[in-house]
Amino acid sequence: MKITTMQGLEDARAQGERSLYPARTKITVGMATCGIASGAGAVYAALIEEVKNKRLDATVTRAGCIGYCQQEPLVDVLQPGLPRITFGQMTPKKARELVVRLSEKKGLPFEDAIYRTDEDKILITGQEVRLAAERAANGYRKVTLIREHPYFKKQKRIILRNCGLIDPESIEEYIACGGYRALWKALKEMTPIRINEEIKKAGLRGRGGAGFLTGKKWELCRLEPGEPKYVICNADEGDPGAFMDRSVLESDPFSVLEGMVIGAFSIGSHQGYIYVRAEYPLAIERLRAAIDQAEEYGTLGKNILGSSFTFNVRVVEGAGAFVCGEETGLIASIEGSLGEPRQRPPYPAQKGLWGCPTNINNVKTWASVAPIIFRGGSWFVATGTEGNPGTTVFSLVGKVRNNGLAEVPLGIRLREMIFDIGGGIQDDRAFKAVQTGGPSGGCLPASLIDLPVDYERLADAGSMMGSGGMIVMDEDTCMVDIARYFLEFTSDESCGKCTPCREGTKRMLQILTRITRGKGRPGDAEYLQNLAEVIKETSLCGLGGTAPNPVLSTLRYFHDEYEAHIVDKRCPGRVCKELISYSIDPEKCPGCLACLKQCPTEAIIGEAKVAHRIIGNKCIKCGACLDVCNYNAVIVE
Amino acid sequence: MSAGNMNLNGRPRVGVYICHCGINIAGKIEIAELVKFAEKLPDVTVVRDYKFMCSDPGQNIIQADIRNGLVNRVVVASCSPLMHESTFRRVSSDAGVNQFLTQMANIREHVSWVTADSQDATAKAKALIGAAVHRVVLHKPLEKKTVPVHPDVLVVGGGIAGIHAALTLAESGKKVYLVEREPSIGGHMAQFDKTFPTLDCAACILTPKMTQVRLHPNIELLSYSEVDSVDGYIGNFDVKVRRKARFVNEDKCTGCGECTVNCPVHNRIAPPEHPEVEPHLDHEVKSWLTNLLEQYKGRAREALLPLMIEVNRQYRYLPRDIIHYMAWRLDIPLSDVALQVATFYNVFSLKPRGLHTIRICMGTACFVKGSGRLLERLERELGIKTGETTSNLNFTLEAVRCIGCCALAPAIRIDGDTYAHVRQDRIPRLLRKYTVEGGVKV
Repeated sequence: MKITTMQGLEDARAQGERSLYPARTKITVGMATCGIASGAGAVYAALIEEVKNKRLDATVTRAGCIGYCQQEPLVDVLQPGLPRITFGQMTPKKARELVVRLSEKKGLPFEDAIYRTDEDKILITGQEVRLAAERAANGYRKVTLIREHPYFKKQKRIILRNCGLIDPESIEEYIACGGYRALWKALKEMTPIRINEEIKKAGLRGRGGAGFLTGKKWELCRLEPGEPKYVICNADEGDPGAFMDRSVLESDPFSVLEGMVIGAFSIGSHQGYIYVRAEYPLAIERLRAAIDQAEEYGTLGKNILGSSFTFNVRVVEGAGAFVCGEETGLIASIEGSLGEPRQRPPYPAQKGLWGCPTNINNVKTWASVAPIIFRGGSWFVATGTEGNPGTTVFSLVGKVRNNGLAEVPLGIRLREMIFDIGGGIQDDRAFKAVQTGGPSGGCLPASLIDLPVDYERLADAGSMMGSGGMIVMDEDTCMVDIARYFLEFTSDESCGKCTPCREGTKRMLQILTRITRGKGRPGDAEYLQNLAEVIKETSLCGLGGTAPNPVLSTLRYFHDEYEAHIVDKRCPGRVCKELISYSIDPEKCPGCLACLKQCPTEAIIGEAKVAHRIIGNKCIKCGACLDVCNYNAVIVE
Repeated sequence: MSAGNMNLNGRPRVGVYICHCGINIAGKIEIAELVKFAEKLPDVTVVRDYKFMCSDPGQNIIQADIRNGLVNRVVVASCSPLMHESTFRRVSSDAGVNQFLTQMANIREHVSWVTADSQDATAKAKALIGAAVHRVVLHKPLEKKTVPVHPDVLVVGGGIAGIHAALTLAESGKKVYLVEREPSIGGHMAQFDKTFPTLDCAACILTPKMTQVRLHPNIELLSYSEVDSVDGYIGNFDVKVRRKARFVNEDKCTGCGECTVNCPVHNRIAPPEHPEVEPHLDHEVKSWLTNLLEQYKGRAREALLPLMIEVNRQYRYLPRDIIHYMAWRLDIPLSDVALQVATFYNVFSLKPRGLHTIRICMGTACFVKGSGRLLERLERELGIKTGETTSNLNFTLEAVRCIGCCALAPAIRIDGDTYAHVRQDRIPRLLRKYTVEGGVKV
């Protein structure tokens, strides 16, 4: 079973191609966590049952997540010689109908289709797979091509190259998409130094957020004397609002494993760890399955691909501590103690896991390695901007129309992200801010909408790249409340080892809470500014050093909102409970009783077909009425 | 003892002096009743009351009784000793009674000022006077004396505070012994880059002082040493300092650090104490744990977290007996397992959790889309706060930092199932789906 020759790799590729592009109809359901949460499990079950009932000559398979989460569950239909059609927002009922139409050869329900794919381009090899043999029939042509679809048009997928396309539990399909070609090249044709040089030439920067040069990092660890050496994949994606690491692990785990083997070979390590956070059970499951398969096929373990190189990987499950995403904290956690960061230097490259030289990279960094090795550093540099080559994955979420993951070249403008890919703001509200970089990042205002997104520009604007979360906020978001939210997060996750972080974040939280409750005092904003700067300067690790960023950036760009809270006791975003009140617009309310039934305190009075009214002193401002009203009749002010 | 006996002139004769303190005491307490009560107490020879016992006429009353030989021990029932103890001690000694044979009963601050009911106040005053009389009989006359003080100073701990104290004392001419547990002084400050809140460079403050300590003729530095015992009293302490084994000739060592770098064992951590007896654990659970442990042979510390996660998954919390057993098996101190690791990581609980765990995502995307209001609704519906478990052990409510379903915000995860785009009105239905009638049997 083990692949030791090029022929073996070719055989696996051929087998993978047969399951990727079978000679009969293939129906694929996107089954990552977000798909499953949207009901993909039921859709999958319905498809299998209906295919069996109708005796349709079709396979039903699972794939990962292509990243267009807004439209989940997604279902692909691929018939031999025809374009692949993707349907969104599937339900079991629609799925059954789909099978019925396929079996009765009635043509697909094109009105529900989101996009079509005429050919698959394999990124690693550059080869194209034509799906539609001839010019597609009329119905097919009406569906937008994927490369012209607004959500995908500006994307360039390197890290997410296989996501949503292949079955994450099939190494053959991964190989069919050019998988393990790079590893073959690295082990058979390159020296560890050459590999390192190639990564340096590519100028790949750590995709975990800090943006340190990966090639440099590898070199430090490679040259460090001492045995054994370790490589670690940091999949402790703790930043709220970012989920691309989960998606990559759930959709294309082999790409991470391949990158790690190449890195380990270059550095001279024989043991690797992947640290996955506890909140990602499916990612852990798929990763473990992938490791088993890779060992079976000889792309991991002893004598990889028939060479003399040995490398093993162990999955370590996190236990829910944000600070473990910090590299020294993560190492301490693998060692079985508290995940508390320690002072650097010594850096992990000198003294890491068990005191040995250790190289640690993010999931996306590892997933970028294979294409760079196969196609060369200069190919990689062609994408992105100078100093910021390549692509990165953003999770575009919040109050934006198209939620999901988008991989774009670095240097793309915020406007393109939010309005072209994201499709603008939900419900036609006004765009207010975008938050990047998680709790370590900041909020950028509408005036910076044309800012190109790269490591330096974001830092200059008072935010950071971070792990790529991009949370869009509309006019109904309170920026002071957002700052309070992040401080609540960081003060809770602060490990307590150093004073500025432990005490400082708590104090900032107290002041922000006071302000959002309408009890802010004159001078609070200035005091916050002062405190934030000191904490930034004096904290031991990155968590404390960046924790004040949300406060500093909101103070910088949304000072008027702080003033409104402190001086006028008013919340412009209409969020802070103590500063708002609910009422019902009698013009708009048709008296449908929906809110009345939901109100937990019986604060809404009225009867059917008569406009309702809210009794102010009974209202606890829970917002239940706002959620259920279909007529926009609930006014918050 | 003999001197005491001489002053006693035979049996103790106690005089009780009750002060009215204007109306401060007399306005609340029945003085006449106190007098009657005190007269009946053993050894009491004289009981007198007066408007202001601390005034000159009041003092004279006491001194007259002493000089007339009626009294050789004095009880004054008046205000707090903080106020007038020194006054009455002087009154006694001026009249010829050892000052320590005087006792005060505080019936003002402790009784009249703070008691509402007059009868209660009188009763308490009686109790205090009774106690004072019984006590003063047992007093022994004490004498003041002067002893020489040893002027050398011992400073324990060579952190920045200890260093600074040692230097200040040495500068003022005292001989100082500075004891430090670690091989080098400097303490925590040596690990900091800057100091709070002025952002001064920590090393720039600390290192010159460290050098001064080494060079100061008045300071004797005892590094890598610990205080074993402290005996004696102020001015005449006897301190035992244990100097830990160092195997280095300190007179010749320049502190270059070369030897620690080359030492093959300097990173070894001393093995923790190992309890002799195997903690009790159910046989079935024990073999289950043993099987898990097999996978981590020889890597005890690395096994700890995965094992705890596994146990936590199985039982939904970390049962006490298993924790005890694991600590024993892995040879890791219990405090390390139970207190440190279990409380550091969010997934662990030391208290039993409900059958279903509701994890509401509080990631940024969910927060922006109103997960805060959802959480409040859940708290109201379940009647518990975040982090708590319902009394029937059906639900535990937890807020988690992002489950990575940001595009589906706001999201809730109940056990293994994730629910997308949850609105408040869906919550009662969701809860019904997981509710077990009649609660959960443990």
